[in-house]
Amino acid sequence: MKISDYYAAHQRGVLGFLSLIFLLAGWEILLTYVVPLDPFFFTKPSLIAAAFAEQIAGQKLWHDLAVSSRAFIWGFSLALVAGIPLGAVMGWRRRVEYTLDPFLTALYASPLVALAPLLIVFLGVGLLGKAVLVFLLSVFPFIFNTAAGVKSVDSLLINVIRSFGGKERDLYLKVILPSTVPYIVAGTRLAIGRGLVGIIVGEFFAASEGIGFAIQNYGDTYRLPDMFVGIIILSVIAVLLTEILRKLETTLAPWRSGEEVR
Amino acid sequence: MTGLRAFYNDREPYILGIGFIVLLLLVWQSIPLWFTLPRGMALFFTTPTKIGASFYQLLMNGELEKHFYVSALAFVVGLGISILVGLPIGLLMGRSRMLDALLDPYVTAFNATPRVIWLPLLILWFGIGIWSKIVIVFAGAVFPLLINTYVGVKNVNRVLVNVVRSFGANEWQVMKIVVLPNSLPYIIAGLRLAIGRAILGVVVGEFFGASQGLGFMIASAASNYKVDVVFVGVAIFMGLSLILTMAVKGLESRLASWRPETVKSF
Repeated sequence: MKISDYYAAHQRGVLGFLSLIFLLAGWEILLTYVVPLDPFFFTKPSLIAAAFAEQIAGQKLWHDLAVSSRAFIWGFSLALVAGIPLGAVMGWRRRVEYTLDPFLTALYASPLVALAPLLIVFLGVGLLGKAVLVFLLSVFPFIFNTAAGVKSVDSLLINVIRSFGGKERDLYLKVILPSTVPYIVAGTRLAIGRGLVGIIVGEFFAASEGIGFAIQNYGDTYRLPDMFVGIIILSVIAVLLTEILRKLETTLAPWRSGEEVR
Repeated sequence: MTGLRAFYNDREPYILGIGFIVLLLLVWQSIPLWFTLPRGMALFFTTPTKIGASFYQLLMNGELEKHFYVSALAFVVGLGISILVGLPIGLLMGRSRMLDALLDPYVTAFNATPRVIWLPLLILWFGIGIWSKIVIVFAGAVFPLLINTYVGVKNVNRVLVNVVRSFGANEWQVMKIVVLPNSLPYIIAGLRLAIGRAILGVVVGEFFGASQGLGFMIASAASNYKVDVVFVGVAIFMGLSLILTMAVKGLESRLASWRPETVKSF
């Protein structure tokens, strides 16, 4: 009885977990007993787990992660610091929006990752090239989401503050900021996805360290289990970051949850 | 004077927006007139007119056409497959709670992770020909379509479904009469996102281990310091993304004028 109660309450989670277990088991069994495994082209969970244990114990994985996250954090923080004020001005001043919007929209809609080879040639394969690429890709969600947030501010609330003798500071802290933050959080989630593309492509290109480089290098040397370890770690990081921000979004603005497409 | 003023007021957004872009291009063009760049910088520098000239040249000698054809093929086939796969799975996940719970972990994980991470593996499996590009385009484009279809189906009004049911409709008729028309705006929005991801896939896929395509043209030009050719490629991708997204957006606003866009996303 207890088990069925638990199942009823957590049906989604249980089913999802089971489907993951079955997939892994099926994959393992298929390549162990049914089809002979060609280690150059495929791998199986037990081998990946072994490689995983080995990499966790070693130095290289942590070094690669540190290198990648350093470039990511630099580019991403710069995007945040530059994007939010610019977006706020765009949302607040109509003429600024008219002036910048077409230009920035064109850049946002186009695959700026196409500039990656040029940036690497310009700025080198180290921290700078990757950080600039991350910045270029992740700045636009900050700009456009902040602008949309500021524009969404209910003018009635502004009038209320004004007529009750609120100061300019109250206006910013009590009305504009609270209604903009959910938008910025949503923008942060988009920016993380784009920033990760930047760091990976940057490292695929011509790096000598970093998690993207490691994945490509393992691919080039046919070490598939090691490559899957890198892919899995990156997926886990991406899922964690995205889900944390999604939770934050629904906490900060429960009325907006489920409205926006992913 | 008042006529000019009124003319400006009527078209202020366009005048300011286009004016800013023109201004930027003029500044870019005139940089070499103001500064003499050091030799190292001059190697990396190009101007809009030089880019225009090399666009014309590449167009005339047929090179652009060759690369464009390869890229367009990967884009169209990859996007086509992702529509054929994403829509049905999204519909089924939206209608069946069981299937939703079973597939959700994979959809979430794949969607959160940049799909380019699979590129080295795809090149290993499918080689450096067009198939690895098609698969990476597919992997990028399928999730926005799938997820938006799913959200659209989930947001269908229960009352309408029940009405149709109580008049004796089967599952197929419920789909056709209520679910599909209601989720169409979501699907179109998904298509717009999918186009962006697909173009990203084409670009990145052709950067690595390719011998043809616009992405390859960009990468090889960059390593040969042919900066103007790089910008020709970038400009083409930019133009295509803009034209395609604007076209879909036009469709979107016609189908769902009641659902105003709050935030831009690509």
